Amino acid sequence: MFIHIRNLAFNYQGADEQTIKDFNLTIDQGEIISILGESGSGKSTILRLIAGLEMPTSGNIMVGDHCMCSNSTFTQPEKRGVGMVFQDYALFPHMTVEENIKFGLQKWSRKEKKQRVLEVLELVNLQDYRKRYPFELSGGQQQRVALARALAPKPKLLLFDEPFSNLDADLQIRIREELRRILKSTGVTSIFVTHDQDDSQALADRIVVLRSGEIADLGTPNEIFGTDCSFSERLAVKPRVLSRV
Amino acid sequence: MKWYRSLKTTMNGWTILSILIVSFVILPNLSILVQFFSEPNENWLHIREYMLQSYIQNTLILIVFVGFFTLMIGTSLAWIISAYDFPMRKFFQWGLILPLAIPPYIGAYTYHGILNYTGTIQTTLRNQFDVTVNQDYFNIMNMPGAIFIFTLFLFPYVFTITKAYLARQSTGLIENARILGSSSWRIYFQVVLPISRAAIVAGVSLVILEVLNDYGVVKYYGIQTFTTAIFQTWFGMGDLQSAVKLSGTLMIIVVGLLILERVMRGRKRFSFTTTKVKLLQPVQLKGRQKWLAFSYCMFIFLIAFIIPIIQLLQWAFYTYEQFFATEFLGLIINSVSVAFIASTIIVVMAIIISNFARLNRGMLAKTFPKVTIIGYSIPGAVIAVGVVTLFTSVDRQLFGFYEWLGLEPTLIMSTSIFMLVFAYVIRYLAVAYNSIESGFDRIGTNFTEASRMLGMSVTKSFFKVDMKLIRGAIFGGFILAFIDIMKELPLTLILRPFNFDTLATKAFQYASDEMIHQAAIPSIFIVVVSGIAIYVFHHVLEKE
Ligand SMILES: Nc1ncnc2c1ncn2[C@@H]1O[C@H](COP(=O)(O)OP(=O)(O)OP(=O)(O)O)[C@@H](O)[C@H]1O
Ligand SMILES: [Mg+2]
Repeated sequence: MFIHIRNLAFNYQGADEQTIKDFNLTIDQGEIISILGESGSGKSTILRLIAGLEMPTSGNIMVGDHCMCSNSTFTQPEKRGVGMVFQDYALFPHMTVEENIKFGLQKWSRKEKKQRVLEVLELVNLQDYRKRYPFELSGGQQQRVALARALAPKPKLLLFDEPFSNLDADLQIRIREELRRILKSTGVTSIFVTHDQDDSQALADRIVVLRSGEIADLGTPNEIFGTDCSFSERLAVKPRVLSRV
Repeated sequence: MKWYRSLKTTMNGWTILSILIVSFVILPNLSILVQFFSEPNENWLHIREYMLQSYIQNTLILIVFVGFFTLMIGTSLAWIISAYDFPMRKFFQWGLILPLAIPPYIGAYTYHGILNYTGTIQTTLRNQFDVTVNQDYFNIMNMPGAIFIFTLFLFPYVFTITKAYLARQSTGLIENARILGSSSWRIYFQVVLPISRAAIVAGVSLVILEVLNDYGVVKYYGIQTFTTAIFQTWFGMGDLQSAVKLSGTLMIIVVGLLILERVMRGRKRFSFTTTKVKLLQPVQLKGRQKWLAFSYCMFIFLIAFIIPIIQLLQWAFYTYEQFFATEFLGLIINSVSVAFIASTIIVVMAIIISNFARLNRGMLAKTFPKVTIIGYSIPGAVIAVGVVTLFTSVDRQLFGFYEWLGLEPTLIMSTSIFMLVFAYVIRYLAVAYNSIESGFDRIGTNFTEASRMLGMSVTKSFFKVDMKLIRGAIFGGFILAFIDIMKELPLTLILRPFNFDTLATKAFQYASDEMIHQAAIPSIFIVVVSGIAIYVFHHVLEKE
């Protein structure tokens, strides 16, 4: 097992209820996990906890052999070797595409940096856009730059928060396929969060269904969206889950 | 174990520096509060018995009337300019902020100079028309005169805040009222005033705080208020202890006012820094109405800006030769260098605290911003008293250390320019803080988090990302603090080292010594620099 999350619990300050309750998950190296749930179910919160942007009230997170978080230790996000693609991409507006990608490579030599930038740009098919500023790119291009930027430092784990929510439906389907190809070709372990079950189904090896901060279900897309009607009914992630069956 | 984990993760440079800065801000105020409760001396008993009532009375009369008049002028101008189109409206939008460039004390002696027996008006009447007027009608050096001066040069606080609010928040309501056919007056009294209550209260509070802070106007016009009383007991009678007690009383009044403000404006918060606004669609005025609106704005603009400026220029013209000597250069260097040093420190501190507050949760992150900005509510003379008492006691503690260094065991800290800068920082930290905080609000925390996910620490993220994105806000905060410090009078008068003069202190001193022509050049310098800053703010930073 590559990633181990045990008994994770968390609540935001001032919230009455626990936002995340007893979350457990293990992930294999190279696996693509999708966290699926309604708005407000705590998906982003889980990612932020794994990233180190929030500190859990209890529980452990292990990535590889390293303990990222326990009752006595807490590794800062910049030291975790975890990458993240934000919902609005958060590309630095004052830097070009190339500078954005180089940003995570501060410890690399100049030559390596250059090499790596070309590599990842090729991966996302944006070789000709090196010198552009983010505002000069379309939504889909921005998204790919965000992916390239997150991939560049070779993170052990890559997190995506609603990666497709700013794209139109057409683009969403194309990018989805492409994303799976890229992730599989680099072999990076990844977790992505979505409220759209088509996304989950198309991209993930396994799906975690989250409801009110708790795991409601866990399994391969087939297990979760299989033909078993009653199962889906019980699940009722979204009305669409039902209408599909 | 968990508290240890929390402590270890939050205790970084930003936290420690923030704690230090906030302690710096609190200490002088605490120092006053502690000594406020010390055993009273005879002088204090005398002051309390015979004088205190008139100080309170005068102060109250000033703030009530100035508050009322600035409210009427500020909101009516804001309403006319937001809702109607008439000649020169675009210009008035920022032109009517310009009176803020004239500090009230400069306005005070300028108007006295215009109106007194040897002034322009009376001389012209006598020489050209052979008319000699009753001096009582032209005497401005009294309570109504002070109210007039404060109103004229402080109403822009109410004007700008209300205008921004009307444009941003109330479009729907006002347009509805228009469609329903309400007359302008009814809309003004029944819609505009009630809905912009929070903004008006915020603006009037700023005005009142400025009035409480003032020393120049009331001293020049001979009105006894808390500030003049603090000066008098301290320097006239050499009684610092009673000065502390007066300061404590004034602080209590300020705190009372702040609580009142909270209650009155409800839950909405306002900072003085302006943000982008969507403007209410102005209605084109016609005929007589058009010229009425124009005349009203023009009249205020003339008496609150143009007339005093022309008068100052005229005086400057008489004296510029003797002034462009070394003395003037020295004053500029003094003013600019202390303002520059203090504003730089202020901006650095404001950045540290606001960055700490936005990236952390918990008690400290919530309370620090509030503590940081208290200095702005506290009158300069009170801060001066607090800083002096603090520094003298630090000096006393350090006597042994000075001796050990082989220095004379005297008051070193409390007579240095360091003390003045320290006091500026406390008083004007809020100005830069508000600007920088709103800059941070605009960019949110996403970029910082993205940067951290790419392996940069909080500090590196700040320098490589955040700072670049809020450059405008940082620069704006610096300019605002710089201008305020350059104009500052009461703090500087009290805390400046021996023989150290700024443009403001020298101008005021000349005016007090009836050398009003000599006061003109340093005054103009202050006004021009502030005016440019206002212009830059309105035209450059607004568009960012
Ligand atoms: N900063 C915060 N402070 C307090 N409560 C928060 C904060 N952020 C989120 N919450 C609350 O925590 C719960 C989970 O939020 P979270 O953002 O993880 O949901 P989500 O599943 O990502 O939803 P969405 O699909 O809308 O993004 C919600 O009830 C939300 O109101
Ligand atoms: Mg979310």
